[in-house]
Amino acid sequence: MARGFNHKLEQQQAPAFFARGPSAFARLVFFSALSLALIATDSRLQYLNSLRQNLVAILHPLQVVANAPSQLYSATGEYFSTHHRLLNENQQLKQQALKNDIALQRLSTLALENDHLRQLLQANKALVESSVLGEIMHVGRDPFTKKVIVNRGESHQIVAGEAVVDATGVIGQVTRTYPLSSEVTLITDKSLAIPIQVERNGLRAIAFGHGRDNTLDLPYLPANVDIRRGDTLVTSGIDGIYPAGLAVATVSKIEITPDSPFARIICVPTGGVENHRQVLLVSIPHIDLPASSAATPSTHKVKINPTKKPPQQTPEKSQSAPMSNPHAPE
Amino acid sequence: MHPSKLKSIYLSLLLAFICLLLPWSGFSLKLRPDFLLLVIIFWLIRAPNLCNVGTAWFAGLCTDLATGGIFGQFALAYTITAFFAVMYQRRLVLYNGTQQLFYVLLLLLISQVTLLILKVFGGAQFLGWTYFLPSITGVLLWKIAVMFGLNTGGRVRGA
Repeated sequence: MARGFNHKLEQQQAPAFFARGPSAFARLVFFSALSLALIATDSRLQYLNSLRQNLVAILHPLQVVANAPSQLYSATGEYFSTHHRLLNENQQLKQQALKNDIALQRLSTLALENDHLRQLLQANKALVESSVLGEIMHVGRDPFTKKVIVNRGESHQIVAGEAVVDATGVIGQVTRTYPLSSEVTLITDKSLAIPIQVERNGLRAIAFGHGRDNTLDLPYLPANVDIRRGDTLVTSGIDGIYPAGLAVATVSKIEITPDSPFARIICVPTGGVENHRQVLLVSIPHIDLPASSAATPSTHKVKINPTKKPPQQTPEKSQSAPMSNPHAPE
Repeated sequence: MHPSKLKSIYLSLLLAFICLLLPWSGFSLKLRPDFLLLVIIFWLIRAPNLCNVGTAWFAGLCTDLATGGIFGQFALAYTITAFFAVMYQRRLVLYNGTQQLFYVLLLLLISQVTLLILKVFGGAQFLGWTYFLPSITGVLLWKIAVMFGLNTGGRVRGA
């Protein structure tokens, strides 16, 4: 009797409440293995880059939807901003424009003079950088890295490796490009290194992002190095990524301990890493280079190697082995 | 099976994902709870036959895409968390509000610790104890949701 009842039950389909499919542990093993395989593939091989680009492009509409509320908020804020404030701002901007005009006039005469002198010395012409104005869409969501996402991508001819600059200084470098946006690693990120020069005495060094605070480190400089508090660090321009002479950071603290041969130098970035929305993506043209140096075949190799290689290599290198360059190149 | 319920699961996951995509910055980024994981835990408790470890894995993959990190990190963290949620799902339904809250906190911490281990293996630095704040805010969000009448299968609400 009981047996027949059991038999009857087996015939029926199990109710939905009991239908659970494979056990939780089996699922855990399967999906963990899949995740680990993905991690290994993505971190060591380059197969998933194009897939990621396509997926981010699909994600873009969602991102626009998510950004809409804050944009609407700022737009309405602008709409209701007072007449008085606008007038004030207008006056300030006019004054600033006047100052900039004067500076520009001097700059153009200086540029002419520089060109002329370079011609006299028969030296190569300084490179003219092209730049694209972008806007920060949002801050990177990974708390372990310092990144921002900018609304200019491959469709605007942005390439990984370009320098990103705002009105007050360098803020980072493009490390990944998507069709409509690109990822900028800030100079305060631990994996980013930037070749700098002390403005006061021309000393060259490499600054590394600190990672946790919004500061930069200048490691591997001897304890008796000629760097003072308040020194301005500018890009040295020898890397072929950052245009020379842009402000990077100011030295805020120097610690010299007797037990270490190196000074511990902490700098604060001058660029508004967290403040500004508009940024400039600057690219140094590398297409013109072979053409200009092809005219002088004897210097062909010497000229191309240091300038052409770094734009492609440095982003990868700085991410995989940030400490591979233990001393400043001289 | 339950087309309406399945639809509401995916709709809520999509909403949680959009919450994740909001332009968080500065301190709010440090406080931001893991919306997607909270929604997944909710559905794992309520409807384990519709939302299971696989759903969590897929959601983790989407989070990986949104954070721009290496593929598979969040996926692994969510998978392990989902496993622990599903393992004790039958008991979890019977817990009262406070017990459930502690268990959810534990689950959120499991996901964060897994992620931390993966990141540290990848060469990142430990960010200090503020790293665990999203778990606390996540639990608070859970509590608020329960207070506003979300039935998480707790016994107290049914009685």
